[in-house]
Amino acid sequence: MTHRIQSVVIVGGGTAGWLTAGIIAARHQGRMKTGFSVTLVESPNIPIIGVGEGTWPTLRSSLQKIGVSETEFFRNCNAAFKQGAKFARWTTGGADDAYYHPLMMPQGFTQVNLAPHWLANGAGRSFCETVTPQGQLCDDGLAPKMITTPEYQAVANYSYHLDAGKFAAFLQRHCTEKLHVRHVLADVDEVLQSEQGDIKSVRTRQAGEMAGDLFVDCTGSASVLLGKTLGVPFKPCSDVLFCDTAIALQVPYDSDDAPMASHTISTAQESGWIWDIGLPHRRGTGYVYSSRHTSDDQAQETLLRYLGSTHSHLTPRKIAIRNGHRSTFWKNNCVAVGIAAGFLEPLESSAIVLIELSAKLIAEQLPANREIMDIVSQRFNDVTQYRWGRIIDFLKLHYVLTQRKDTAFWRDNVDPATVPDRLKELLRLWKYRSPWFFDEFDRLEEVFPAASYQYVLYGMGFRTEVEAEDNLDSQGMATKMLRDNVALTRQMRAQLPKNRELINKIHEYGLQSI
Amino acid sequence: MTNVVVLNSQVHAKLRVHAQPSATLGDNQRFVAIVAGEFAVAALHYPLFFSKDADTGRFYCGAMLGFDANENLLLEEQRGQKIYRPLNLQRGPFYTSGADLAIDLEHARVASSGETALFDERGEASAYLKSVIDLMNDLKIGAERTKQFIDGLLQLKLIEPLSLNVNFDDGSRREITGLYTVNHDGLKALPDAQVLDLFRRGYLQLIYLQLASLSHVSTLARKKNLGFLGGDPSRPPRT
Repeated sequence: MTHRIQSVVIVGGGTAGWLTAGIIAARHQGRMKTGFSVTLVESPNIPIIGVGEGTWPTLRSSLQKIGVSETEFFRNCNAAFKQGAKFARWTTGGADDAYYHPLMMPQGFTQVNLAPHWLANGAGRSFCETVTPQGQLCDDGLAPKMITTPEYQAVANYSYHLDAGKFAAFLQRHCTEKLHVRHVLADVDEVLQSEQGDIKSVRTRQAGEMAGDLFVDCTGSASVLLGKTLGVPFKPCSDVLFCDTAIALQVPYDSDDAPMASHTISTAQESGWIWDIGLPHRRGTGYVYSSRHTSDDQAQETLLRYLGSTHSHLTPRKIAIRNGHRSTFWKNNCVAVGIAAGFLEPLESSAIVLIELSAKLIAEQLPANREIMDIVSQRFNDVTQYRWGRIIDFLKLHYVLTQRKDTAFWRDNVDPATVPDRLKELLRLWKYRSPWFFDEFDRLEEVFPAASYQYVLYGMGFRTEVEAEDNLDSQGMATKMLRDNVALTRQMRAQLPKNRELINKIHEYGLQSI
Repeated sequence: MTNVVVLNSQVHAKLRVHAQPSATLGDNQRFVAIVAGEFAVAALHYPLFFSKDADTGRFYCGAMLGFDANENLLLEEQRGQKIYRPLNLQRGPFYTSGADLAIDLEHARVASSGETALFDERGEASAYLKSVIDLMNDLKIGAERTKQFIDGLLQLKLIEPLSLNVNFDDGSRREITGLYTVNHDGLKALPDAQVLDLFRRGYLQLIYLQLASLSHVSTLARKKNLGFLGGDPSRPPRT
């Protein structure tokens, strides 16, 4: 007899829980009539961590798929546009040291690799500026679209900055009101297992025993189901990524109409880096640092110095960061999503995109019955393991390319013993070939495509050896794309409104659905 | 420069305007906003579309008069009163300010040489001014009804973008974007109850007027082509 998967129980109600609930429920709406259900159990007593105010453009399609209006999302989540990240002082540490990792692909990326052409002839101009308008748009403080651009459509590719606490509450309303997700406010006291080790049910203090066929662990770092109950260990990667602490501070703008950056600003410090994220009503800032290399007092001083004297009376909130992930993510009938699966410093806003990718994979691959679940979970684990590995590589790339030698933090970061083997190998390869499609990239739905590696590598002064003759075949196409980029840059700069102006208009008039 | 003030029979007793259609006085528009109440008369001569307000992104309805910036291909017919002239052209320099009628004193139509007086010797509103008061009222009431009509269509997902590609006899080509039309397939797929509701609210008639008006795109294009032969596209073709 087959055991059908009809009841999905999600434990934990932060961004991970509600986004997963929404993605699974939206994908399986049609089955709700036949008894399929999604239930989210959330403690009324445990606060939401609310990490990650930065996201990836994938969130646009995720929100659209679950049927959310982008206008409502902007209005209810204090959302703002994000067109990428600006990394300051990461390479030399100098005052003029900065580069962009934008969200637009280099011009004509699927047809021609512009990197070798820029390497051969691009003297004087940054890689980003040569291949995409987006750095300029960020410099100008422009929005990535216009008020006439329909919801979720872009003129320049974008994602969002958002208020994570409000986002979870917004998703909760949408999931319960529109997607028939059952919401149970109760504390899980005990997890009950079958003889085979599957989770049968959770016993709650307020709502009794709740059975399910598939359990999703969204309990954050506690990892109540996968970690505590099923004993899946946590694999730290603190040997690669040193930051283990963050202090966060929300700061008001000087005035209601102060300019608002449409990109994340990440500024390297002596023992870590500071994030600076513009929401409509405040900036979210924080210092992520290695406690091995600096003290808490020193860190607080660094953050307050960055913010300037007007904010010196504020006291930051301290958050422990545990870089790493579970050794496996789906065991028996339990899969972990969000911090329950793992966490990495928010250098490239990977938290929410990993939630989306995992939830999407669960929704798409949802096993019909228990008998085939182990096949699905094996595949899920392979893909997810690969993704975490790639993100760790990509984050380390930001550190390993530095030329800073001013503090032990930066010197220790380039120690080859701290660099994953695969990244070392890629760096050797990239000395003679720039990353593009025909690397192993894009064999899966990559979190960071080859373009992202290009922006960081060449933004940080990495050089790939290029032979001029190798460029001859694609010279015509490259010349056209470089010209197109100049024209597109001029057009977009003339056409796009200021970032704050558009956000205000979205609040006032809304975006149209078409 | 504009200088919009509330109209006052004493202060503005001597004010005169040019009321006739004229390319140099503001009739040189290729797309003019219209309200639902104008659909029946406007659809006889103009292609009607939905478009988005550049400032707010919100949809409005409009009549197309030409293909290029500042091009009104039907100016001569409007001048000869052979065809309907949209209210937003008729209004000229007038605005509403709350419940009051207002006028832009800097508007090119406001001039002492104007052939039309706003007030007579006794300070009473002239027949022209009375007609302006009526049409501004129609516009005000019409704006609300048009908004409801558009919201109704959007809710039913009945508005879709349309890209106009027109080739002209001189070999040139125009691609006009930013226009929207009723989605006829979407309309046909609606459940009976919703169709009946559209009918009862008077929207079904507006929908079919808009769809039928699209045939005037080729009429307008022919008109422009005649201009390539005769020189001035705003003049009627020589016979």
